[in-house]
Amino acid sequence: MGILNNTLPSNIATDAVDGVIGWGRKSSIWPMTFGIACCAIEMMAVYAATFDLDRFGAGVPRATPRQSDLIIVPGTVNAKMAVRVRRLYDQMAEPRYVIAMGACVCGGGPYVKWGYNTVKGVHKIIPVDIFVPGCPPRPEALMDGILKLRDKVGQDEVFRRRSDTAKDLERRYGMIK
Amino acid sequence: MNESEIISRMREAGLGGVGELDTSAADPFVVIEADSLRAAMLFLRDDEACAMEMMHCVTATERKASIEVVYHLCSYEHHHSLTVKVICERPEGGTHDNWRPAVPTVADIYAAANWHEREQYDLLGVIFTDHPDFRRILLPQEWIGHPLRKDYIYPSEHGGIPLELDAIPLYMEGGEEAVAAKKAERPAGEPLNQPPSKYSARPDAGGKAPESSEGKVNNSRDSAH
Ligand code: SF4
Repeated sequence: MGILNNTLPSNIATDAVDGVIGWGRKSSIWPMTFGIACCAIEMMAVYAATFDLDRFGAGVPRATPRQSDLIIVPGTVNAKMAVRVRRLYDQMAEPRYVIAMGACVCGGGPYVKWGYNTVKGVHKIIPVDIFVPGCPPRPEALMDGILKLRDKVGQDEVFRRRSDTAKDLERRYGMIK
Repeated sequence: MNESEIISRMREAGLGGVGELDTSAADPFVVIEADSLRAAMLFLRDDEACAMEMMHCVTATERKASIEVVYHLCSYEHHHSLTVKVICERPEGGTHDNWRPAVPTVADIYAAANWHEREQYDLLGVIFTDHPDFRRILLPQEWIGHPLRKDYIYPSEHGGIPLELDAIPLYMEGGEEAVAAKKAERPAGEPLNQPPSKYSARPDAGGKAPESSEGKVNNSRDSAH
């Protein structure tokens, strides 16, 4: 299958096949067990029974980056932690997705002015797919972010040639989808 | 015992350098000279009537003319407590860059002081002489400066990790070659070229404003077409 990836023209057959594959992929997102600061508490609430992320197929966090497709970065990324976030991201297999959760990882949040060692937004370190602002975001907000990510994953090109948007994103972030 | 009784007991035992009880603050404290700090702490811990077995906290405060190191002690046995301060006067022209106040360590008297003293060194640059394991505790070991000092200059990057709000993401537009080219333009030792944001009220980050608009990067995600 590898050699067919992104080589076929977009027509009714490849669109249908990609649609089915996309539906399968978006319904089985495996997030990584990863939390840095206060936002992680809200994230745990989303996994737990009240909000039950498993309804959307993303409810079982994997304990290793090698098994996960999604890294939710919930919490303040500082200079020491940035190296670890980057390393975990690098260990994940393609295709991989990033959700920046909370004001801190969207752009510094409460530490934007006097945070001497805070990275003002995790997008300075790794490419981000979905930003979920809030301090901390409500669990509903994170769930909305995950639903948006599902839409995005469902539209990915697998057999079809990559669209201009996808190519543009790739060029922008220097990554292979 | 209340605080003044503890202090008179210290005086009776012949400890020098113990000041008067200062009740002007919400938390009454006694100032002890740095030279007699260790003897005083040993006395407070071992004396039967004081029996201060516990040190909650070592902290420090920067003031205009001094840096104060504050020790909070208490006794489970007698249910009393004492706040001790050591005041290090700021020498003439003493700044972040050239002045590190020195205080003898009490880490071998109270084990709890070990990490707390390292934290005060990390954030305020107080040197605790003869500390058994004296290095930074929170910030990376190779961090420069002590961030809670008033005249600390904020870094714009640390080891290639951008710390400015306006910093160019490591994955910037133009891919990796453009990043590499940008890096080459920058002479070794220069900080990453981020000027502070015009909305930022942070102290000068030491970044340089870009000379032309060419080097400017559009971070807005809407510009994808
Ligand atoms: S955004 Fe707010 S809640 Fe989330 S990690 Fe930052 S400070 Fe904590």
